[in-house]
Amino acid sequence: MTPRRTQGPAWLRELRRRPAGIFGSIVIILLVASAVVSSFWTPVDPFYADPFHPWLGPSLAHLLGTDAVGKDIFSYLFLGSRTTLLVAAGSSVVATVVGIALAALGALTGRWLRETIAVIVDILIAFPVLLIAVMLTAVLGPSLVNVVIAVGIGFGVNIARVSRGEIRRVARTDYVLAARAAGVGPWRNLVDHIFPNIAPVFIVQLSLAAGVAILSEAGLSFLGYGADPGTASWGRMLHDLQNYITLYPLTAVWPGVAIGLTVLGFNLFGDALREATDPRLLAGSDGPMDRRSSRRRRKAATP
Amino acid sequence: MTRFLATRALLLLVGLAVAAILIFFTLRVLPGDVALTIGGTQATPEQIAHIRRSLGLDQPVLVQFGDWVAGLLHGDLGQSLLTGVPVADDIGRALTVTLPLAGLSLVFGLAIGIPLGVVSAVRHRRFSGFAISAAAQAVAAIPIVFIGMLLAVGVGLYLRWLPVQGFPNAGWANPRRAFDSLILPALSIALVEGAVLLRFTRSAALEAMSQDFVRTAAAKGMTRTRALVTHGLPNVILSVVSVLGIQLAALLVGAVLVEVVFQLPGLGKALVDDVGNRDLVKVQGELLVITALILVVGFVVDVVHRLVDPRERQADGDLE
Amino acid sequence: MRTSKILLAAGLATVSAVTLAACTGGSTPTPVNTDATVNLGLVLAPTDLDIRTTAGAALNQALLDNVYQGLVTLDDSGKIVRDIAKSYTISPDGLTYDFTLNSGVTFSDGHALTADDVVSSLQDATKNKTTYVDASGLADVASVTAPDVGTVEVKLDKPNIETLWALAGRAGIVLEKGATNDLKTTALGTGPYTVAGFQANTSLTLDRNDNYWGTKAQVKEIVFHYYADTATAANAALSGDLQALLPVDPTQKAKFAGAQNLAIVQGDSTDKWTLGFNNTDPTLSKKDVRTAIREAIDPKAIIAAVGGAGLPLGGPIPTGDPGYQDLTSVDAYNAADAKAKFAAAGVTRLTLTIPTPYGTTISDILTSELNAVGVKLTVKQVDFNTWLSQVFIAGNYQLSIVDHVESHDFGTLWTNPKYYFHYDNAQVQSRYHQALASTTEGDEAKYLSQAAAIVSNDAAAEWLYQGVVLNVVSTSLKGLPVNNTNNRLNLANISVLGGQ
Repeated sequence: MTPRRTQGPAWLRELRRRPAGIFGSIVIILLVASAVVSSFWTPVDPFYADPFHPWLGPSLAHLLGTDAVGKDIFSYLFLGSRTTLLVAAGSSVVATVVGIALAALGALTGRWLRETIAVIVDILIAFPVLLIAVMLTAVLGPSLVNVVIAVGIGFGVNIARVSRGEIRRVARTDYVLAARAAGVGPWRNLVDHIFPNIAPVFIVQLSLAAGVAILSEAGLSFLGYGADPGTASWGRMLHDLQNYITLYPLTAVWPGVAIGLTVLGFNLFGDALREATDPRLLAGSDGPMDRRSSRRRRKAATP
Repeated sequence: MTRFLATRALLLLVGLAVAAILIFFTLRVLPGDVALTIGGTQATPEQIAHIRRSLGLDQPVLVQFGDWVAGLLHGDLGQSLLTGVPVADDIGRALTVTLPLAGLSLVFGLAIGIPLGVVSAVRHRRFSGFAISAAAQAVAAIPIVFIGMLLAVGVGLYLRWLPVQGFPNAGWANPRRAFDSLILPALSIALVEGAVLLRFTRSAALEAMSQDFVRTAAAKGMTRTRALVTHGLPNVILSVVSVLGIQLAALLVGAVLVEVVFQLPGLGKALVDDVGNRDLVKVQGELLVITALILVVGFVVDVVHRLVDPRERQADGDLE
Repeated sequence: MRTSKILLAAGLATVSAVTLAACTGGSTPTPVNTDATVNLGLVLAPTDLDIRTTAGAALNQALLDNVYQGLVTLDDSGKIVRDIAKSYTISPDGLTYDFTLNSGVTFSDGHALTADDVVSSLQDATKNKTTYVDASGLADVASVTAPDVGTVEVKLDKPNIETLWALAGRAGIVLEKGATNDLKTTALGTGPYTVAGFQANTSLTLDRNDNYWGTKAQVKEIVFHYYADTATAANAALSGDLQALLPVDPTQKAKFAGAQNLAIVQGDSTDKWTLGFNNTDPTLSKKDVRTAIREAIDPKAIIAAVGGAGLPLGGPIPTGDPGYQDLTSVDAYNAADAKAKFAAAGVTRLTLTIPTPYGTTISDILTSELNAVGVKLTVKQVDFNTWLSQVFIAGNYQLSIVDHVESHDFGTLWTNPKYYFHYDNAQVQSRYHQALASTTEGDEAKYLSQAAAIVSNDAAAEWLYQGVVLNVVSTSLKGLPVNNTNNRLNLANISVLGGQ
């Protein structure tokens, strides 16, 4: 899946120009760095509980203080970044697989199958990710893997729908039609022409998916369906600290802010990427304001 | 047009049927047994078997499915395995909380999102426009439960302007109190959804503003805002309508979460509780109702969109 | 002129004297609002009203003593006292119990209570002692008869000193003979209140029974509000929506520090927060491993973590139950020894399964303490239904935390190998049977404490702490019981001060 040479540097250049893109990239890099570092070292063992010293204020020993059972909040938050990264990355992978599979099926097959899949996709889209996750966790027990799968399916379906339009559009361009006339098989067409062209849209959707995945994990852990007690997770922190929000509000603020900043980072990155890969730059469009591309942009803007 | 309506209606029914099948059979895979919750820790295996028999849970799965569907066609969603109360009654009562909550969230969300989105588009080169857009981005990134907690504590507990949590047991008998209980939860959802709507409105408005007829109106002397509102607004509204269907699903998800945060006896909280209790009949009914709501709203939104958008009608051959 | 001035002065003096007296509340009684509605907040909700077949302390709290009554009941300190029975005697051999009934007892539908009603209710419970909740205490009842219209005689086929205690609970309630009302949604009893409304998992409303045969209730209506989480409940109490919160989560206690009209009342309870061991699990069947787990846990840390709302508990019988003795020195906290024992047994991992309603406060401490002695604890939180099927029924677990709230439950937990602890010790069983067969309370206590000591020395479980009850009560609400309110809530004597 080689990106077209005119695109590679162009959208990357555009991305670097935008402050939103820079902010988003920094957040993502910080997240990855925290995840990696915290796997090997944290200031204090995040699971060490000292119930004789709960609710300590910030100090050198405990940068953000301690919680109800004396655990170090900063260390726990630090380690939680790993879970956040895993959820974001895992869901993106699942969503990609599901999305590509559905989209490819939809684009390559005959009319009947295509319409049936379209209907199923429409129904699955209607099913909110949270409900899928609730049912999955009820069947399989609460765990992060279920969150990742549920979000992956939910978002993959969305991606499939968005990509469907893109794939159709690209499939109709002269370039591809000529290739088909010349006898190039549908699979080859897919890989060589369609995927590279829809890749930017895909990546944008994935970065939005990451944001949704992180928020979903927070919501699901809040309901008790997400990470188990042995896994440090920001969503779990919200769940555990909600009882104390009137007594020690600052402690609950940390995970909320961490989640918000990270999701913001992913969203801004996705937005900046979308602007940077505006169809303006892609070959084969009729100009910035033609009807079809504006509708396409609206579709691509659907999170 | 009629053909379009008929096709979409058929798809809606098919969708409902598929959903019903998916829901029923997925739930049957659930491990765990409602008879255990009823029997409690003192129950003997005989007692549990007896409970299961009396609930009809020992019948073959297909028979249970057939019974359920037969009931559905009569509007009977069955009875709660745990309390024996007709599911339709429980869901009806829960909807008196969830529907107004969703409606209120939608109203708040639109009231926040559309005007601010237009303003932010009109002033997109000025700091105020940028600030609004940035704030929307930030708010959309915050977990709904966190906003809910902050509002509950800040407005409810400290300022005491509104009830902290809960919904009056008397329901809508005292409309003022009931309404007050829904304001903070609706606001929690609306802030996040409004932020998303704001961004849609903004990009749609920006696009409308670059259209020829709006530019012409501005050149003729109208202020940009005026030009946008009088000429470009229909397109903006259209764009927003086209995403409302998806937004409703998001609203319902938000409703599930805030119902737990604010302890509202709505459909979302009922679903969470009933899954925990393995009250399969209730869970089936609740999931089906939620899915039906989403599908129906999606259908309505599609039809409205199709009716109103001249471009869609023209480009019919493109079928999207 | 002067007379009227004197009269005026006298009048003023009188008025101020009366006002002063009323303000200090010394001599004049404060008026009671007999039209009051009392709002109570509780946490565990009943799923239906079936007092016979639906388990759970929630129904005990709501319906026992308030709607349903029995021959005897328990007072606030847990002693057995008379209720429908005016008096009773027990034969010296412990086989015959004779109850003389009060006259004029009526059901809330107006029908008079007769000995036949008592007999039929007790016979019903005895016949169904394996299916009715808490009816197993009637195991040794041979017959229930009414020698005459005002007396009931219960004969046992062997002495069972727990029979009277069982009669003070669900097993002894009197329902109207031949009544056909649906027990799941209605309740017909002789108590001072009737059920006026019920919404499963949300609320239960009791109305004053104006036809009550005893002293009528002093409040018009009581509403039980059930909350799924303790923070919401605490907030509702703080904002004045509730006149009492039973109980308040100890971690929420600090919220009420400055509250003007609310007081925190601490009472006794028989809650035994137990870290259960699956005694047949391969790893845990070794006594050294079980001992090591007990020695790794510092009870002071656990009690500190739950806000100090607990007493150390070294064995299966809590204070307030017959047979209590202080067993806290058995397998006391000794991290070094624990570490050595774990290493010797080669144990490095253990699994703890807890039901979701329980927070992770205690499991966090356990994780940390076991980690310090070289054991990694995996904590699985499962919803209550799954806990029931996996842990309780299938016995598919290693460690589990449960708050066993019942009093007098030693027999159920420790003499039945099929109970989820799977503990089987013949000595314990025989001591227990000797206790039941005793004819004096002293003997019963002796045998029970011997049995309890064996269980503790066997390290059959770890008793984390004995709970205390912390209730938040409005200063205008009087007459609320103090102890054991999570098991029973006798509201017959509550009243609300006037003007509230």
